Amino acid sequence: MASFLLEIRTEEIPANALPGARRQLQDLFAKHLGDAGFTGFSTSVVSTPLRLIVTLSDLPSKQADRVEEMTGPPVRIAVAEDGSPTKAGLGFAAKACLPFEQLGRLETEKGQYLAATVNHVGRATSDILAEITPTILSSLRFPKMMRWGLGSYLFVRPVHGIVALLDDDVVPFEAFGITSGRTTVGHRVHSPKPIDIDHADTYHETMAEHSVMIDPAQRRQTLESAAKHLAETVDCRVHEDPRLVGEHVELVEWPGLIVGAFDRDFLDLPPEVVVSTLRHHQKCLILEDRNGALQPHFLAVIDRKDDPEELIRLGNEWVIRARLADARFFFSEDRKKPLEDSIAGLERVEWHRVLGSLEAKAERLGILAVTLSGQVGLDLSTELVCLAARLVKTDLTTHMVGEFPELQGVMGGHYLRLEGADEALWTASRDHYRPVGFDGDCPSSELGRVLGVADRMDTIAGLFAVGEKPTGSRDPLGLRRAAQAVVKIIVDSGWALDLEVLVGEAVSGVADQSTENIHAVKDSVTRFMADRLRRWLTDVTGVSGDTADAVMASGWVDPCETVARAQALETVRSNDSFRGLALAFKRVRNITDGKPEGDIDPTLFEHAEEKELHDAVLEFHAALERLIPEHRVTEAFESMIPIADTLDRFFIEVLVMAENENVRANRIALLKLLGRDFLTLADLSILQIDGGE
Amino acid sequence: MDLQTLILNLSRYWADCGCIVQQPYDTEVGAGTMHPETFLRVLGPEPYRVAYVQPSRRPADARYGENPFRLGRHLQMQVILKPSPDDIQGLYLKSLEAMGIDPSVHDIRFEEDNWESPTLGAWGVGWQVLLDGMEITQFTYFQQAGGIDLAPMTAELTYGLERISMFLQRKDSIYDIEWGGGVSYGQIRLMDEREASTYGFEVADVDMLRRHFEDWEGEAVRCLEHDPPLVLPALEATLKTSHLFNLLDARGAVSVTERVGLIGRVRANALRAAKAYAAQREAMGWPLGNALETGTQEKGVV
Repeated sequence: MASFLLEIRTEEIPANALPGARRQLQDLFAKHLGDAGFTGFSTSVVSTPLRLIVTLSDLPSKQADRVEEMTGPPVRIAVAEDGSPTKAGLGFAAKACLPFEQLGRLETEKGQYLAATVNHVGRATSDILAEITPTILSSLRFPKMMRWGLGSYLFVRPVHGIVALLDDDVVPFEAFGITSGRTTVGHRVHSPKPIDIDHADTYHETMAEHSVMIDPAQRRQTLESAAKHLAETVDCRVHEDPRLVGEHVELVEWPGLIVGAFDRDFLDLPPEVVVSTLRHHQKCLILEDRNGALQPHFLAVIDRKDDPEELIRLGNEWVIRARLADARFFFSEDRKKPLEDSIAGLERVEWHRVLGSLEAKAERLGILAVTLSGQVGLDLSTELVCLAARLVKTDLTTHMVGEFPELQGVMGGHYLRLEGADEALWTASRDHYRPVGFDGDCPSSELGRVLGVADRMDTIAGLFAVGEKPTGSRDPLGLRRAAQAVVKIIVDSGWALDLEVLVGEAVSGVADQSTENIHAVKDSVTRFMADRLRRWLTDVTGVSGDTADAVMASGWVDPCETVARAQALETVRSNDSFRGLALAFKRVRNITDGKPEGDIDPTLFEHAEEKELHDAVLEFHAALERLIPEHRVTEAFESMIPIADTLDRFFIEVLVMAENENVRANRIALLKLLGRDFLTLADLSILQIDGGE
Repeated sequence: MDLQTLILNLSRYWADCGCIVQQPYDTEVGAGTMHPETFLRVLGPEPYRVAYVQPSRRPADARYGENPFRLGRHLQMQVILKPSPDDIQGLYLKSLEAMGIDPSVHDIRFEEDNWESPTLGAWGVGWQVLLDGMEITQFTYFQQAGGIDLAPMTAELTYGLERISMFLQRKDSIYDIEWGGGVSYGQIRLMDEREASTYGFEVADVDMLRRHFEDWEGEAVRCLEHDPPLVLPALEATLKTSHLFNLLDARGAVSVTERVGLIGRVRANALRAAKAYAAQREAMGWPLGNALETGTQEKGVV
């Protein structure tokens, strides 16, 4: 068995492009080799920022030989009467690569046919790899591709070398104008000279000897244990940050780590500012004490084994000091006047090209928040809400948020708190961008929740109104997440509200700027919100998709109430008798759809089962009227269950489509009433039940 | 290493790599990319290598000389290599040695950072180069300029000279770095920063700036419509409008709705100037040669 090694050496590939590249290589090699008839081999794909590496093991040295039984044209067509081949006969011989005389005969029900047994000799694995590899490389796709030099090739970054070995032989091909070989280089600092790889199986070791750790998983492990150890040397622990570690793993060929310090005075800044400086801007790991309090140390990841002259530590410390001093400068500049004094500046900041300035945004936000607050019966004064709507946006005009956009909201919260603002107000500023989608906590104050929902509804309505709604996987403005946060806040707050009304208000707020038909906008925002609520039901409430669809078909505009119905239905549907109910309900729907409603006249009943069903329906109707206002949804669903048997008996004994028109109409009216009552809870015909239609 | 030695060393180094050492453009620009030696030279098939320092004016970034890291006018060292040579990263790393930095004892990283200038109809992909955590260079492979797809491709290196000096000299304020001959940056430029801030934020005559925007825009169009089009005068007039816009913006005189419109007007002329240049060079038969035919400099010269 043989091993194949492929190394594509490039300039630094962006961290976010590497996982996708590995997946594609894995899939493409498996597919192309599979198509060539290879089985039982294993594929491993690793990478560094400078290399994409594919290893295939347990490959045979050549494709398996293959015997193909070919059937040709009928003998009566292929062979002339004198036994000589016709054109068709010769054609088949050519196709089978055999002299005509060696062709066999195959007896079938339809007569005798020409036949041939063809031995396909398997091609050398090396030839096949030389053929498929360039094809695979040219079909790789990256988030952003580029050209270099004369512009002849398109890839994620310029390509500099290709190693392709089957065991100890070069697999020869050309890609990106480069001929494959066995020469690579080691780590840029530690081992920059050319290295020849002797054998595919020794590549891993050879690279390790030349200070390149090719496996991301190994780099992660090394980094994590080094971080833990280094943190202990300064009496700290590492603030868990798997995402940042994951990014670093894709940024280095050899994961080194240094610990540095900064002046304790900087801890007087809001901790988010320090963390942002260290983490977002310098990609440092944050160190904290046992209680999680920020410490004046940091860990910086470096792409080398050592810091021989301590210049790297000094450099990083210098940069961090400079950045923190910069942040302190902005913080004290911002603190020179109260935030409220900067409200006027909202007018000068563009929020959206068509939808206008931040002032316009804050104005709409205030109005919508007042409406929402009334809708859910909160006791918030209009004056407070409108002022808060502007104040929570005002930090977008500050130096600090200009420099650290990720601190929007948080900085406003700090400034307002330091100015002695009311807690509901400063927490509203701090919290109104939370949660992100379904993730994270909801704002702590009612004011924060109202502003959070209104802000996002305005954004969604506004962007839909100017034709910037998400399409497919493209949602650059995060509108789906925004809508999910709206759902989460509403459900989490237990607000009873009509989401469709809220959508209507939000859309009217942007009607003047709208470039689209305003009714169409309202419809598509409404559908968009419904879709996000469905996502909540399936992903967070945890009901199955058809349960979500069934309850939403009966109405969804009150999200809390919809969630309650979905939970109840999900519980009840596992009940045995429920299966029959769902099937019977489908039958009811089929019979009554499109028929008019009517009064029920018990004197027209001809069967006991009709009366029995009528009683059950009335009882169910009464139960609904009692239970629904008290939000006892599960009981409401449970009260459906006894009807199943009654309904079954009814369908067995009673012919709905009776000859007598009045009797028929009466029976339909009875079923219609039942159907309507059922539909107040859910459309059971949507449920996927075994044995259903 | 003082600032002027840094400039001299980098210039010498890139001259040795085959670059023309150009001079700063004498019209106000916001970045070295707007210098016609970059914006126009990257177009078409002619090979070209150039290096120059470009004082770059960003009135809105000015801070009255009070912020130790921010300037309303800073110096960029701009290097253009067309087509981008194979060993461009190696050439770049050697330029660090010219700055007195020994890469073997530092941590040098290329982290993705793509660049886009809507005003110039230009974008590219590349990295910011980090030295021990400090951003010292913007490294871009131009993909498009003036709305035109490029071939061959250009590599652009932009060194932020003041930042690099601060780092090399371990100074906590730009104004403390040594320019040369024992004279500090602050002694030469602090008053300039203060005045430029006062002017840009408080004094600049908005009506005059608007008038001049209109005038220079009109002039750019006149140059473009001249037969044959006057490429460089058109670009210069366009650069004037770009700077006037920046001043208006710093002054807080550009409303939200107006902003997009003004940028669009600058862009329209920049794109027309680029197209006119491409046509002009083609009509001249590509006097500096056609890299696509000869493959010149593909492998680098050093």
